[in-house]
Amino acid sequence: MQSTCRITVLALASTFLVPFAAHADPVAEGLARATQIVEEHRAVPTFQAPGESFDIRAVAAGKKMLSIPNTSSNQFLKGIIRREIEVGKEIGLEVREWENQGQPNQWVQGIEYAIANDFDIVDLISGVNPAVIEPQLEAAKAAGVQVFTSHFYDPSQEANPLLAGDLPFSFYGQGWIMGNWAIHKTEGAANVIVVKSDEVPPTEPLVRGIRDAFEQNCPNCTILTEINVGITEWGTKIQPAVQAALLSNPTANYVFPIYDSMSQFVVPAVELTGRGEMVKIATGNGTPFVLDFIREGRVEMDVGESLDWVARATIDGYMRKLAGLEMPEELAVPLYIFDETNIETAGTPAEANKGYGDEYVAGFHENWQLK
Amino acid sequence: MDTPLSTSPERRRFNVADFTERFGLVLVWIVMIAGFGILLPGIFLSWMNFSIMFATQSPGAVLALALIIPLTAGDYDLSVGATLTLSAVTVGVLNAVMGLPLGVAVLAALAGGVAVGLVNAFFIVYVRIPSLVVTLGTTSVITGLVQWMTNSSTIGGISPTLVNMVMRGRLFGISYAFYYVIAIALAIWLVFEFTPLGRRILFVGRGREVARLSGIDVGRVRVGCLVASALLSSIGGLVYAGLLGAADPFSGLNFLLPAFAAAYLGATAIIPGRFNPWGAVISVYFLATGITGLTMMGIPLWVTSVFNGAALILAVTVSQFVRGRQETDIG
Repeated sequence: MQSTCRITVLALASTFLVPFAAHADPVAEGLARATQIVEEHRAVPTFQAPGESFDIRAVAAGKKMLSIPNTSSNQFLKGIIRREIEVGKEIGLEVREWENQGQPNQWVQGIEYAIANDFDIVDLISGVNPAVIEPQLEAAKAAGVQVFTSHFYDPSQEANPLLAGDLPFSFYGQGWIMGNWAIHKTEGAANVIVVKSDEVPPTEPLVRGIRDAFEQNCPNCTILTEINVGITEWGTKIQPAVQAALLSNPTANYVFPIYDSMSQFVVPAVELTGRGEMVKIATGNGTPFVLDFIREGRVEMDVGESLDWVARATIDGYMRKLAGLEMPEELAVPLYIFDETNIETAGTPAEANKGYGDEYVAGFHENWQLK
Repeated sequence: MDTPLSTSPERRRFNVADFTERFGLVLVWIVMIAGFGILLPGIFLSWMNFSIMFATQSPGAVLALALIIPLTAGDYDLSVGATLTLSAVTVGVLNAVMGLPLGVAVLAALAGGVAVGLVNAFFIVYVRIPSLVVTLGTTSVITGLVQWMTNSSTIGGISPTLVNMVMRGRLFGISYAFYYVIAIALAIWLVFEFTPLGRRILFVGRGREVARLSGIDVGRVRVGCLVASALLSSIGGLVYAGLLGAADPFSGLNFLLPAFAAAYLGATAIIPGRFNPWGAVISVYFLATGITGLTMMGIPLWVTSVFNGAALILAVTVSQFVRGRQETDIG
């Protein structure tokens, strides 16, 4: 949350300050701001308590939570839920996963299961769209089961009113960092090809973050083209589309596959076009195999987030709600830049939770009054 | 079935129609290239563009070639996409995760392909279950196995040797991947056109009972075709892994429909009415040319799906009109 607040403040400050500094060099000033943003997110994240200290064990005692991922084949979500299960053991919360293959009827079944088996919480973690299962949300509400989303909405997006609570994540911030990274590395001359999937709600704020970075910090930077590829077609369409875009845009110097699992199809596209020296790849999510790509020099940067941190912040938010405390306005998980300078900290081969430090674990324990 | 009984003038007219039918797709392809060349001056008609397209489409082309073998013998193989994925992740798991030498991983991937072919063949030929049902089932089984093997994660770090042998290594500016496609197409063409085995496969596909009565071991031919299809699909998986430098557990299945489209589209060209390797390869690159040109013009990618389907239906329709709307022997 703190990182997002900082991002928002910087974005606003940029907007208001730029007109008053018309006499100065806007390129140099924008570059300085972009560099500052990059440096801030290169520093190992520090823990900031999401709210007042509370006895989490007392709240969690005897409670049950069912986590329903968008699909159990998504390693990012699976990784978060695995950590949720472990964190649940630390605090006495029973956490179970509702395994599914990404079909809405399976999500419906999951909620019905939670209602029938007296679960206290349903956790729609990063991807299950509440709008698709509204009748079940109403039924859950009537049965006293609290349904939350985490890591699904951006703070700028309205959460479904049937939810008991929501922990939005700043996807905007991820795009903002990617945009500023390209400004920083090209010294204010980034020409970017964006690869995106409009069908996923985080895409809009994420791409808006990139656009805002360029608008506010780089008068000469452009998004040359935005390639929209449906998730099921990543394997067959990203590579030829990026190749075509690179050939028809010879001034391109960055490709942003906004979700880093897209990188596996972007990397060969850049290499095959022989533009590897000039065109760099910057992305976001911190998926281990993409971090390995950074070590191999095939991807330049990945904005990562710790899955363990996401799990702790999610459970923290839900437990606060159950305790009658105020839920954090955002998921308090910082965004951290991995590049060639710090990639070794992610492990060899890279691991999902490595590189972010471990100070936050002690921080959560203290905030939760765990001894 | 094409035995000419006509007099000389009719024969000449037939040949013109025949030529149009055989090379219509190639002509449309050339017109399309010229059209995009005019619309995208200096960009589309570059050697770089074509060399990239030739390499990138290789996994799909290998899959289309794999498909035409059982299709010629009258069997469907829907498991080619899953087999491609199985092969790619086998190399990924054995080489990148377990650290085994690349050669061992490649052999294991090919062996996996042969095993899939034998399983398909057992249920299709011995148990006599329709090929559509069996290969749909094995697709699902393989997809599950692949997710188990990979923990549903993409596996990076495959030996650079494979990447060099597929993507980075080039001849005349084109990655080796393309030449593997040509080599496979050439091999299939030689077998189909110049060997008794090729004729037997065709006879089996045209009429199993007639083939059986003619003394052909129909079961053996079908088993061979299904195993060949699975083996080629696993080669497609090696090409895919070499192209990406990684093994993706999900995307291989997406090649299935384009590969079927190319196989059927290819059956309207070069040797019309028959699944043939050159027709299939041309179809893959015909479809890729359209998609690349449209993408370069900035047209949204959903248009490419429409293009793929419309091109297939249009080509087959034109071919049918040229043939006087005859019943075809295919599907």
